[in-house]
Amino acid sequence: MTTMKEPDRPWIESYGSTIAAELPPRRHASLAELVHATSMAHAGRTAFTCVVPNGMNGSLSFARLGTLSDDFAAFLHHICELRQGARVAVQLPNGLAYPVAAFGVLKAGGVLVNTNPLYTPSEMIHQLADSGAEVLVICDMFADKLAEVIPQTSIRTVVLAGVPEFFPAIPETIVRGVQKVWSRTLPPVPPLKVPVLRLREALAKGRAAGVDTEALWKGLRPDDLALLQYTGGTTGVAKGAMLSHGNILANLDQVLAMGRARMSGRDCVLTALPLYHIFAFTVNLMAFYSAGARNILVPSPRPVQNIQRAIENYPISWVTGVNALFNGLMNEEWFSAFPPKHLVAAIAGGTALHRSVATRWTLMTGTPIAEGYGLTESAPLVSCNPLSDAARPGSIGIPVPGTDVALVDDEGAAVPQGEPGELIVKGPQVMQGYWKRPEDTAATIRNGWLFTGDVAVMEEGGFLRIVDRKKDIILVSGFNVYPNELEDCLAMLPEVLESVVVGVPDLATGEAVRAYVVPNPDAAGTLSREAIIAHCRKHLTGYKVPKSVIIRDELPKSPIGKILRKDLKAEVKAEFAGKT
Amino acid sequence: MLTELETTLLGVMMMIIMLGMGASMTPRDFLIAFRKPRGILVGLLSQFAVMPFLAYLLATLLGLPAPLVVGLILIGCMPGGTTSNIFTYFSKGVLALSIMMTTVSTMVAVVMVPALLAFYSGLAGVGGEYVIPPGDVAQILAVLLVPTLLGMILRKLNPNIGATIELIGSLMGVVVILFLIASWVPRNYRLLMETEAAVYAATIGIGLAGMLFGYWVARGLGQDRNRSRTISLETGIQNGPLAVLVVTLSFTAAQQQAVLLIPLLYSLFIVLTSTIITLWYRNSATREALARDAAKIEPA
Repeated sequence: MTTMKEPDRPWIESYGSTIAAELPPRRHASLAELVHATSMAHAGRTAFTCVVPNGMNGSLSFARLGTLSDDFAAFLHHICELRQGARVAVQLPNGLAYPVAAFGVLKAGGVLVNTNPLYTPSEMIHQLADSGAEVLVICDMFADKLAEVIPQTSIRTVVLAGVPEFFPAIPETIVRGVQKVWSRTLPPVPPLKVPVLRLREALAKGRAAGVDTEALWKGLRPDDLALLQYTGGTTGVAKGAMLSHGNILANLDQVLAMGRARMSGRDCVLTALPLYHIFAFTVNLMAFYSAGARNILVPSPRPVQNIQRAIENYPISWVTGVNALFNGLMNEEWFSAFPPKHLVAAIAGGTALHRSVATRWTLMTGTPIAEGYGLTESAPLVSCNPLSDAARPGSIGIPVPGTDVALVDDEGAAVPQGEPGELIVKGPQVMQGYWKRPEDTAATIRNGWLFTGDVAVMEEGGFLRIVDRKKDIILVSGFNVYPNELEDCLAMLPEVLESVVVGVPDLATGEAVRAYVVPNPDAAGTLSREAIIAHCRKHLTGYKVPKSVIIRDELPKSPIGKILRKDLKAEVKAEFAGKT
Repeated sequence: MLTELETTLLGVMMMIIMLGMGASMTPRDFLIAFRKPRGILVGLLSQFAVMPFLAYLLATLLGLPAPLVVGLILIGCMPGGTTSNIFTYFSKGVLALSIMMTTVSTMVAVVMVPALLAFYSGLAGVGGEYVIPPGDVAQILAVLLVPTLLGMILRKLNPNIGATIELIGSLMGVVVILFLIASWVPRNYRLLMETEAAVYAATIGIGLAGMLFGYWVARGLGQDRNRSRTISLETGIQNGPLAVLVVTLSFTAAQQQAVLLIPLLYSLFIVLTSTIITLWYRNSATREALARDAAKIEPA
């Protein structure tokens, strides 16, 4: 059992003059209050601008976003009869509809369930059923999945929103026309037994209900649940991390504490990472927004050329991204030839930032890039490099203010200074637990400490360095891939006898998925790599699909027949030694 | 021949097309394109060196009469048509290269077209009455640069307006051809029946020859398959409606009618030939992409 006293914080000496040693007192009781106060404070200034690849765009001011999210909250409360603590799933790519829906849910006292728009129906069903979501706000491009999904969930109302939502009329019509006629990405809405309406209609109904929305969130306390943010954890079954209003409020203050010295209050932040992911949610949507910055939303950053007009047409001063995004940008000539003039700094997270990428970025843009570390379970930021000369490449930086970290051995005892140990975290950003999974919660949070499963060492000055991941999770561009889930999927194929999925180093995505598969000699058909990949593509989101498939006659096994994953990992390690 | 109203309408449509072409890019796209100008230079070479020569060669080989020679050489000298961008998109080519080549060739055209036209007309021995005054051609092309620049400025000032104009411009590229078909073909169907096979061979042949040579010139100069296909379409697809406009503004009456034949027929047939070539290119591009994907899956 972990029996730890409050440790001292050796990293505070590295904070320098720009980072406050202690977290400031909480300014708001809830995220709803923060959104309301931010709308009032920055009123007519632009809060969000969404830019599609051809440069067409739409914007919402702080005040207008305040009004629209009030309307959506009123709609949820009055028309959908949503009560405090009830879950609303929001399944949208980056766009103006996202902040309207997300802020509306929070203002109605609801719990936001962020959902990846690219999820397959079975992934959606799991998440929607597990969270017990009552309302689903989904991008109209994926409406075709509803027929299969809705009957297997507790969704009572579906709200559809488009990518060009809240664009001026002509660009909106054109983008929609292009989606419908040209790229054919607007499927018809299948007939459903629950009411389906467009976001615009929902907002009109909410407005007509004319409610005092302040009353809906006035009673919210910091301990009330704000988000169910799904993550796989160790077992591979996606679990909802319960993040309270207080968790997010604390973490956005922690983000601001690290960056504030370089922020101007007139910043323009490039939001190419999806807002449904906790990194962009807390850093871009919450922290930068609350500081009065303008978010430039890119609905789909792939291919990376989709970001070109967003970077060219707006005075981008901050960029948040993952290794693959920074690398991709620097490989584009329009970026390397004309790096953004107003850039102040960049924040990298999600997956390890390669040293070479960080060095190139700083050389190319003349601005620092700070690598941070976090988990969904900690809303997410745990540590971050300072945006100064004190930053250490290859390190995940120092714990953010108000956070305690310790490195422990398998028994939970602190390891000696400089020795590797499992990183454990305590702070106001640590989640309340996993939704309806007390056993998983108990295994992950012990005595108030969050066990990350990552093995790290602490260097002089409190800088942390990740050594290895304890878990077998594969991190593809910041997204967790759980070998179990993939192996289960592969097992569905009659031609597959057994399989093991491991991560291999990949320059573009950090890690790539590799499946080792043994064919079933008794099966009628023969096993082809193409068929395996096609099968995975059918059942899983793109990033989970193996990038490489290796067909073997047998897999390494222990005397009792357990497949030895670690042997394959060692093989991979030998194969890639010196390559990355 | 075209009536005055039709000529005016054609002029207005060309203005809109050029406005849209300008709006399809930003000044920065230009700067970027000229950092590595190889692709564009190769494109310009096939546009202004290969095409006019092919036109001259075809005209000589087929032994066409003077007005038709002028029409064919004029087509050969024209800058790239904006419809090439649409075909490039559908053929999965390099859209940025196509847009840039069209724009650059249109700008360079102010100087190149009058010079080439004078040179090849002289070489072909075209007589006085069928000579297109180089000054007039330069003037028309220069006037069309105004909307091009305006389009670029609008794009810079307001991306929403810019992208809208871009779309309208590219739709207009199709509309103008439909307009020419609707206004000219019904009045001239008898002429079409009487037209010799050699003329049809010239109008269809110049587009196909441009695409064929454009591709191999690009390949020969080290461009990859996909870029070569883009340059091929760009070379073969000339700005036919612009040639029609030049003819209607330079000639009148029977002379106009005679010279107009090849530019008009070219504008009509190039849509058909480009469609077929585009389908073929699209298949090749898909096949190559699949082969690349397959190579990524590791061998056992």
